[in-house]
Amino acid sequence: MAVFMQSFLSGILIGGVYALIGIGLTLIFGVMRIINFGHGDILMVGMYLTYVLFTWLHIDPFVSVLITFPLMFLFGGFLQKVFINRVLHAVAQNQILLTIGLGLVMSNTAMLIFTSDYKILTTSYSSSTLQVGGGVTVSTPLLISFAITAAVTAALYWFLLKTDTGQAIRATAQDREAAQLMGINVKRMSILAFGLGSALAGTAGALISPTYYIFPQVGGGFTLKAFVITVLGGMGSVVGATLGGILIGITESLSAVYISSGWKDVVVFVLFLLVLLFRPSGLMGKSRT
Amino acid sequence: MRKHLLALGVAAVLSPSLLAQKIGVINTMSGAEAPIGENITNGIKLAEEDLKKKGFNLHLVWEDDTGKPQISMSAMEKLATRDNVTGVVGPYTSACSNAVAKLAEKYKVPLLIPAAAKEEITRLGLKHVFRMNAPADKYASSLIDAALSLGKPKSIAFVYENTDFGTSTSKTAKDYAARKGLQVLGDVAYPKGSADYRSSLAQIKSKNPDLVFMVSYVADAILLMRQSKEVGLQPQAFLGAGAGFTTTEFAREKAISEGVISCTQWTDDVNWPGAKDFGARYKAKFGKEPTYHAACAYASMVIMAETARNAGGDRAKTRDGLKSGKWNGIMGEVQFADYDGFNNQNNHTMLVQQIIAGNYETILPAPFATKKPVFPFPKWK
Repeated sequence: MAVFMQSFLSGILIGGVYALIGIGLTLIFGVMRIINFGHGDILMVGMYLTYVLFTWLHIDPFVSVLITFPLMFLFGGFLQKVFINRVLHAVAQNQILLTIGLGLVMSNTAMLIFTSDYKILTTSYSSSTLQVGGGVTVSTPLLISFAITAAVTAALYWFLLKTDTGQAIRATAQDREAAQLMGINVKRMSILAFGLGSALAGTAGALISPTYYIFPQVGGGFTLKAFVITVLGGMGSVVGATLGGILIGITESLSAVYISSGWKDVVVFVLFLLVLLFRPSGLMGKSRT
Repeated sequence: MRKHLLALGVAAVLSPSLLAQKIGVINTMSGAEAPIGENITNGIKLAEEDLKKKGFNLHLVWEDDTGKPQISMSAMEKLATRDNVTGVVGPYTSACSNAVAKLAEKYKVPLLIPAAAKEEITRLGLKHVFRMNAPADKYASSLIDAALSLGKPKSIAFVYENTDFGTSTSKTAKDYAARKGLQVLGDVAYPKGSADYRSSLAQIKSKNPDLVFMVSYVADAILLMRQSKEVGLQPQAFLGAGAGFTTTEFAREKAISEGVISCTQWTDDVNWPGAKDFGARYKAKFGKEPTYHAACAYASMVIMAETARNAGGDRAKTRDGLKSGKWNGIMGEVQFADYDGFNNQNNHTMLVQQIIAGNYETILPAPFATKKPVFPFPKWK
């Protein structure tokens, strides 16, 4: 039972961070109908930013979120304005190629600057734990990052539901042309959405830095994971991505124990295929016909 | 008596030191493995310097194999047929050494491999292939033997990367553990680069093994130990085989690395003749600590050059010289023997070390110990 609880709990905590990555991707997709294949690389940029802030300026990785979030927002907005806006009406393949290309430029630039060596962030609490009871322990940094994830997600919900800008973003996501007719500046909304998506990915990068390691190619695996989470939850659904992230976290963790850690990715993808078979539009998605 | 004098006279006239010793070096000097290859280059350069001081007329022919077996093989062809070297020291990686070994046999060129770990290389019955370092099985056996001599462990669990390196090392270890009567309680192969090993470690914890044996590279080694602490995995000893557990980065993570037992081919605090001096001179010349690769390469070059000189540059005589010779230097006693299915393999003593107060300290074998071992593994704070 302790084993079950332990893996269930760490699954939820890891899943929280996955959710944050997935929400960023789904937000971008919702507003622009573009799948950002460079999403993991944006996360990688966030990780290196955290690394630089920590090693050079000695800013705690969790505090550095306050710097990483706005910086990554600007970075994402810049990418959108300079690159993505130009292919908004192009065929899907070109959009995919552009985002993959941007991702490659990011990871190779990181390799030039930081070399391909693994970097590990060591904070005073990197290896500290919290007893939950029943022989179950939780990693302190993971718990903090889950709390920050929850706060960021809640703030995002509030922003999307309650503010005018948030509603404008959702309107753009629902029907781009109608939104434009209602006087919403959809190009501006796109920049906002891509900026927000990047800021969320960057934040996720900052949050996992204290418990994971950093290298230029780290993004690829996360892009794939974010993609699965987004499709699983329903393309464009923020609630779906939150659920999807936590679901994937738990599935990975439990299958590593009860099947084999070498097979955990297989289990995740089988689950993914099953959801697609029975609910083609994802858990929370509405089919668009 | 007269006969002996005559022989002495002839030997003096044809003094082999007058002839140049032409020796080939194949090493990985560019590409992904280059950072480790560099240690081998440095070790050989220091050997060259020392040998020249001793009056050797050494002529080295350097070849870079970039870590690729096919390039390594063409380098060997060139050294054997065009440069006509007496012997070759290298290559670095197991894959390259394995490929080059068969060519060395074909061209009858003595090949001395300094630091490749794959066991098969000296198990093929090749007459011209010699190896300085202890092969991979020694890692497993010396670690498990160390744990058995420190306490009375009855069970063991394995956690390893599901790559060729991880699975082959842990397979040998599993066989050895079974032979020693240890019960194998856990066997977890993990995909490299997962963020979360907690569930697998919690599963191992629930079986409560006396020993935990891990095979990983640097980054994963740190993550595995951090998460072991998190889930409260508390065996009598953590045994770390493989690259990740013997780096300064790992030792620096004091909260999680203290007390972890690992093993290495060489350190500069052993009392093998010249080891300390080698360490000091290496550090002065290259500005960093020598790794075991550097020491293996240094010793290999010295032995190859001396044997080649005594053989007067003849390949067959050099081979015989390597086979029958015995040396004592910075790698301790070296002899290329046939045992346990190995041929021309130096039965090198692995040093078992433990991280004590943030430093790697040799704990076994006893004559080389610098600190008393800490056993069982201290309780997590």
